[in-house]
Amino acid sequence: MADSRDDVIIAIRSALLKKGAKQKFSLFFLIILSILIITLDKSTYKITTSTRAILNDFVYQITLVASGPGKFIKYIVLSTKTHFEIYDENKDLKNKILFLKKTKINSSFLKTENRILKNSLDLSNSKSSEFDKIISAKVTNDYQSPFLKSLLLSKGKKDGIMKGMPVFSGNYLLGVIIETNYLSSRVLLITDLNSKIPVLIEKSGTNAILSGSGKKLNLVLDYLPDNFELDSDLIIFTSGKGGFLEPGIAVAQTYSNKNNKIIVKSLADPSQASIVYVGKPYTQQESE
Amino acid sequence: MSIYKRIKDFFANNFPLFILYFVSFNSFEGIKAIEDLLIFSFSLQMIIIYFYVLKYPESLGYGYIFLAGIIHDVVQGTILGATSLSYLILCFFTSYIRNVTLRFKMTTEWFAFIPPLFFANLIFFIIVNNFSNISFYYIELLRNSFFTFLFFPIFYYLFNLLQKRATLD
Repeated sequence: MADSRDDVIIAIRSALLKKGAKQKFSLFFLIILSILIITLDKSTYKITTSTRAILNDFVYQITLVASGPGKFIKYIVLSTKTHFEIYDENKDLKNKILFLKKTKINSSFLKTENRILKNSLDLSNSKSSEFDKIISAKVTNDYQSPFLKSLLLSKGKKDGIMKGMPVFSGNYLLGVIIETNYLSSRVLLITDLNSKIPVLIEKSGTNAILSGSGKKLNLVLDYLPDNFELDSDLIIFTSGKGGFLEPGIAVAQTYSNKNNKIIVKSLADPSQASIVYVGKPYTQQESE
Repeated sequence: MSIYKRIKDFFANNFPLFILYFVSFNSFEGIKAIEDLLIFSFSLQMIIIYFYVLKYPESLGYGYIFLAGIIHDVVQGTILGATSLSYLILCFFTSYIRNVTLRFKMTTEWFAFIPPLFFANLIFFIIVNNFSNISFYYIELLRNSFFTFLFFPIFYYLFNLLQKRATLD
């Protein structure tokens, strides 16, 4: 009994402390070092945050080169897929153009009517329809891992990017800046499980919280009123509550799936985003 | 010795290192090009570490594994050191298995992969859950672990083949 216990202790000690033929460090030393790094990373000292930012920038630059072959394979797969889908897409797009032309006419009429009514009520034009897109950045990498859905951008603090800035793909909200380094930054996508956005649903004007589901483009609407029934083809906008994002940014749309179940999907597709726009951080005074 | 032979030897001797760093920089999580196959997300890094620490410990140093973990953390955006610690725990269990095993067989090595994989992921889960604000589906981590375990024999034969060819050359 004692012998077998000794054997286990010897095996554990050997695994932890023996360096082996080509090993420069023992496992024990590296485990302690890892724990130290975790503790330091948790701390908010300026030196640790700036060291992490330098490390991030350095690794992201190498990642850019290392992800080349993977990006090429992805490009080949996508181009083949697109090639086969192009005919149907063309037909669909023609229908959409017709529909959009009609909507544009309606929209310009409503715009004019809205301006006249605002003028007669003496209300100032509080918000322009185009958002302040101040910085355009290239997407260097997209990480759709099971743990974190994020994008890496080619611009950072040097170009004026700050934490909390909204990121757009086209006119749609894609995510929010969560990490800034000197030369790069990271965007948390709205599809990530950690993303929570206060929103407003078209027509009914119901307030809710739009959360990411972590699965493709699907999103989830939380804190809806009791017995509220969601319709399909509704646009979901940011509500601007909490002063976090500018109100009126189109984020998602409701769809009816094959089983007639209403699902919410993001309007911006992160996998298709190559150039994104980083908007000005929203301050409530701007809209007042 | 010709330059070609030297370069070939260099790549053959450091093959696990190249693959480990390549997947770490790319944050490889499975077959990502086809979205519907994301279900097959698995950790190739863990397979590489387990295989080489168990069979060819001289090919992969702990220091390199530690560094690969740091790179993975930076790329993934998780707390720095979490993946390193998880990989080192995997190394510890693997090293222990190597010390106490007398006869190596593919099936025994495959099933012996369960405890190291479990403890490595448990450590990662505990750190992420307690030291960061990131939330994720626990089922994803379980699924990732399951497919890592399931795909081990494929990579076992592949790495064995490559290693044998490298030794023969």
